[in-house]
Amino acid sequence: MDTEEIQRVGEVIRSATSGFTAQCYELDRFPHLGGLVKTKNIGAQIYGIVFNATTGGIDPGRKPLARGKDEVSEEALYKSSPQISKLLKSEFEALVVGYKEDNKVFQYLPPQPAPIHSFVYLCPTQEVIEFSRSFEFLYTLLNSAVTLPHEELIAAVLRNMSLVQEDKHAFLVSAGKHLATILSGDFNRLRTILERIRQ
Amino acid sequence: MSLDLDRIASQVEKMTDHIDAGNEERQKHLARAMSVLCDNSLNIDDLKNKIVSGKISWMPAEPVENLSNRYRPEQPPENFAVVATDGSQIDVDRHHSTRYYLINIGSVHLEYGDSADARLESAPQLYFDKTDLVMTSPDGSNREVAIEGTLLGIKRDIEEFKHLAQMAASLKEEIPALLLADGTLIRWNLMSKDIPEFIVSEFLGKGFLKCLDDIKEISEGKNIALASYISFPRSSDVVGSIRISICPYNPVNCDKCRRDNPNGNYACGAVDGVQDKDLFLTLLDSGERSGIFISRSSIQERYGIHRIYFYYVKIEDEIARIEIPEWIARNDTLLNMSHTLILDQCRRGQGYPVALSEAHEQAVVTAADRENLQKLVEASLSEKNMEINTSAKSFSKRTRWI
Repeated sequence: MDTEEIQRVGEVIRSATSGFTAQCYELDRFPHLGGLVKTKNIGAQIYGIVFNATTGGIDPGRKPLARGKDEVSEEALYKSSPQISKLLKSEFEALVVGYKEDNKVFQYLPPQPAPIHSFVYLCPTQEVIEFSRSFEFLYTLLNSAVTLPHEELIAAVLRNMSLVQEDKHAFLVSAGKHLATILSGDFNRLRTILERIRQ
Repeated sequence: MSLDLDRIASQVEKMTDHIDAGNEERQKHLARAMSVLCDNSLNIDDLKNKIVSGKISWMPAEPVENLSNRYRPEQPPENFAVVATDGSQIDVDRHHSTRYYLINIGSVHLEYGDSADARLESAPQLYFDKTDLVMTSPDGSNREVAIEGTLLGIKRDIEEFKHLAQMAASLKEEIPALLLADGTLIRWNLMSKDIPEFIVSEFLGKGFLKCLDDIKEISEGKNIALASYISFPRSSDVVGSIRISICPYNPVNCDKCRRDNPNGNYACGAVDGVQDKDLFLTLLDSGERSGIFISRSSIQERYGIHRIYFYYVKIEDEIARIEIPEWIARNDTLLNMSHTLILDQCRRGQGYPVALSEAHEQAVVTAADRENLQKLVEASLSEKNMEINTSAKSFSKRTRWI
């Protein structure tokens, strides 16, 4: 369990204050949508929420073509063209939602972005619990310019975080109440999220 | 200014009309050539003697077996490897005071079967030392020849083979393997009168042929074949043999024929314009290969045990020329394996050997790469407070202005 919790999932290849893109070490081995990941810059640990994942050609000029028509399985396809896996890369994007400095967690943007080539890890259970004691990061998610519906992302984050809580139900109720305050003027969005985290 | 296509359109039309007008004649010539190729009564030994004894002004192929022999591929083995290299270069920029060139070798190792895996690598090497930039004659004359242009291309070819030999050495012993190179194995470009003998000796004897020696030694007793792949060949070596066959002179004497026929009406003109690929596109079924032939290029006299043979293979609707050294050509197992695995590579690579296409991708150097290398060199010079000298012509090309 411990080894799984400190799993390194990639390396930062594009970095900005508000988010970063990491390349996976193994093809298609992404962290989950809405998962809490961490990387670091000098002195601080930066937290990100995974909001997108892609696999495509390493060389942008070379597009993958369907080639498995005569193959019996995807595994057979990769065996028959072993170079393919070396020509593709998997990446995921994370939105920065906070950082940890001097053992204190802040749910707002860090003063410095993560350096390129910083390693990215899945947050272990204890760290997810520690981070999810506050729901301030939901503001950041709601106001972010991500490419998928905010409701989908927030619901995915809360579902993920609830899995490691001692009282999953209480956690989701508390999150729901917080969202009800933030989205008091937008019942439809609130309802969409609540529908997606209902047990 | 971009190319003015409007002004070329009418010229393109003239060109296609010209090609169309020659088609009927070419078909007649092809039919004549095919009738000789498929003539089972043709005595190959007689033809060989006629080729060897003749005074011929072109390079015919020396037949080894019946001209129309053809072979089906075998079933590929369950486990096998294909190794390929390709290279590209950045030539010396004569408008820049810093003289250097770069050779980038792309290499690919593909393993199929139970332990399917791939290794794709590129190895860029910068050459800047005087001994790399210039070759000096060892005869004491101090004659110096700069390694650039054609000579750099030849040096790159040799580097490709050095890498191929290194990769051959690292192959697993237990599985059959094909070493694949791009382009011809016949270093005919060393035959230029402009290239002095000491360069030929260095590049061919101590370079290319030494690599072939190494590969031969590594493959001794193992199931390792070496071949080079020539896509869309324009050669007409076999047509050259057919010309000899239909030549009424025996011994063949092109000079005498020209003197005897001042009107240019030569018997061998009956197959003018036909290329080997036309013959084998007609003769072979998809996947089949032709029999083997020996190239009679004069540089081959220096090849010794590595004399180059070739055969043609039909891949879907295309013909490729495969060149192999004698020790592969004379080993039926390795010869057939080269045919089978090349065909298998083409099947996996949409008509072109996938290992070669990936080696090319690893090796290719783009215009942007050239520009970036130049910037890197300039940044490094500037960091050391060294002068950066470029010609005004180079500046005008790099900085476009009105």
